[in-house]
Amino acid sequence: MDFGTVAATWLGAFFTLCILSFLYKDNPFFRFAESVFAGVSMGYYIGNTFGQTFVPNLVHPLFTPPAGTPREWILVIPLLLGFLLYTRYIKKVAWVSRFSLAIYVGYYTGVNMMQKLQGEVLPQSADTILSFWRAGTFTNVGEWISLLVVVVGVLSVLVYFFFSAEHKGAIGGVSRLGIWFLMVSFGAAFGYTIMGRISILIGRVIFLINQWLGIGNGGVA
Amino acid sequence: MDMMERLMNLDRRWLYLLVGLAAVIPILAPLNLPVNVSRPVQDLFDRVESLEPGEIIMVSFDYGPSTGPENDPMGDAIILHALARDLRVVVIALYPLGGVTEAREELERCVGDLDPPNGQIASERFPDKVYGRDFIYFGYKDGGLAAMRLMSDNMHEVFPADFYGTPLDEYELGREVQGYDNVAFVMSLATGIIGEWWANLVNAQFGTPVAVGCTAVSAPKYFAYYRAGQMFALLAGLKGAAEYEFLVSQKYPQLAQITDSFIYNAGKGWDVQSVVYSIITLFIIIGNVAFIVERRRQKRGM
Repeated sequence: MDFGTVAATWLGAFFTLCILSFLYKDNPFFRFAESVFAGVSMGYYIGNTFGQTFVPNLVHPLFTPPAGTPREWILVIPLLLGFLLYTRYIKKVAWVSRFSLAIYVGYYTGVNMMQKLQGEVLPQSADTILSFWRAGTFTNVGEWISLLVVVVGVLSVLVYFFFSAEHKGAIGGVSRLGIWFLMVSFGAAFGYTIMGRISILIGRVIFLINQWLGIGNGGVA
Repeated sequence: MDMMERLMNLDRRWLYLLVGLAAVIPILAPLNLPVNVSRPVQDLFDRVESLEPGEIIMVSFDYGPSTGPENDPMGDAIILHALARDLRVVVIALYPLGGVTEAREELERCVGDLDPPNGQIASERFPDKVYGRDFIYFGYKDGGLAAMRLMSDNMHEVFPADFYGTPLDEYELGREVQGYDNVAFVMSLATGIIGEWWANLVNAQFGTPVAVGCTAVSAPKYFAYYRAGQMFALLAGLKGAAEYEFLVSQKYPQLAQITDSFIYNAGKGWDVQSVVYSIITLFIIIGNVAFIVERRRQKRGM
């Protein structure tokens, strides 16, 4: 194993133990590791964006295009818009940065509106509605139960969030059922969250035991 | 102080210690617990099996090291499976905090070292596979949604060069992939929301088939997309990764040897997950029983 790999493994083990030490109680090692992580993440993000996006997508096509390729002058516009964002730091001309922000916000609002409507609201509503039409193709009881759970769940939760009528009588009953569905879904989400967090712990423990301490089966990192 | 009171007042650090031990022991003495394959995972395996040799799939690394234990084995399994089936693989990364490094590491774990300057070498693990012809790494691009939209019109505008800085046109596979129309499907290995974008933007607007390998935290929401047919397959967390790895290893024993050689793989993680999860469930039950008993006592005025 070369020196770089050994050093990286020891550093990784040190910072892992620093972070895990928080489980006992807050301490300077944890805070140190936390600060280093925040700093390294920011540095990584800036360097990565500069090297992988800024240079190949802006600098090369605009300033150093390959031989025989014309300069892409259109890129001057995003370059200027990008620079304008930094006028926020000069009080007198700070307002100019709003032009860039307006274009940025406008673009993402436009994309998002279509995306949410066409890619989320409509297809998922359609799937719920069409569930009944698919019932003819069901081959077992489980599919019927699944259909009922989805349709009853969607309707009762919608009633729960319908505040234009008082939640009394039949509406109150359905609304209460909606709360039960919400609670079950929160429980499922919580279960999955634990699974996710335990997975991260497993990754660290395997790293410490197999890679750092070299106990058990080693192999390709 | 009776047992119930002791349980109610138990220092949580004892539980941390117990969970820690439960995580360590199965690593030292693997249990090789059985894995049951679910429909959303089987769908991915079947789709890869149904493709013709030479078809192209795109694998997008949309996660960072923080969710590596869940997403890494998914990336390994899909790349190994595709190469074993003689499919061609285009790797990209869209997650800013580590996607580019994860993509390179997982690709190198599967095919062997890819050294600069141009990475144009044969794979160590698959000697008949060559970088640029059978697999390629386009690199990372910032912008998420904007990049995904533009990739549909002109892939080369988003990725003018591969990760190593070589223009895509210099590679056979780079020339061939001009947009989503040239790939059989996109597999996003996602943390957070990027996997959703593949479904509600790329699948909804361009009709590209999408599969997602998501973290367990995001899984409940992703199942809605899977159910609505906006994703044809879904690997949910470490469990999904273990199921897919199991399917691939069963069908291709030579790939099982490769996966077993990794320090970390989903099967190993799943052993630990099962034990730790059982302990946590047990303590949730004990905690609730203790709470109910205590409440009854208080009602009786004891």
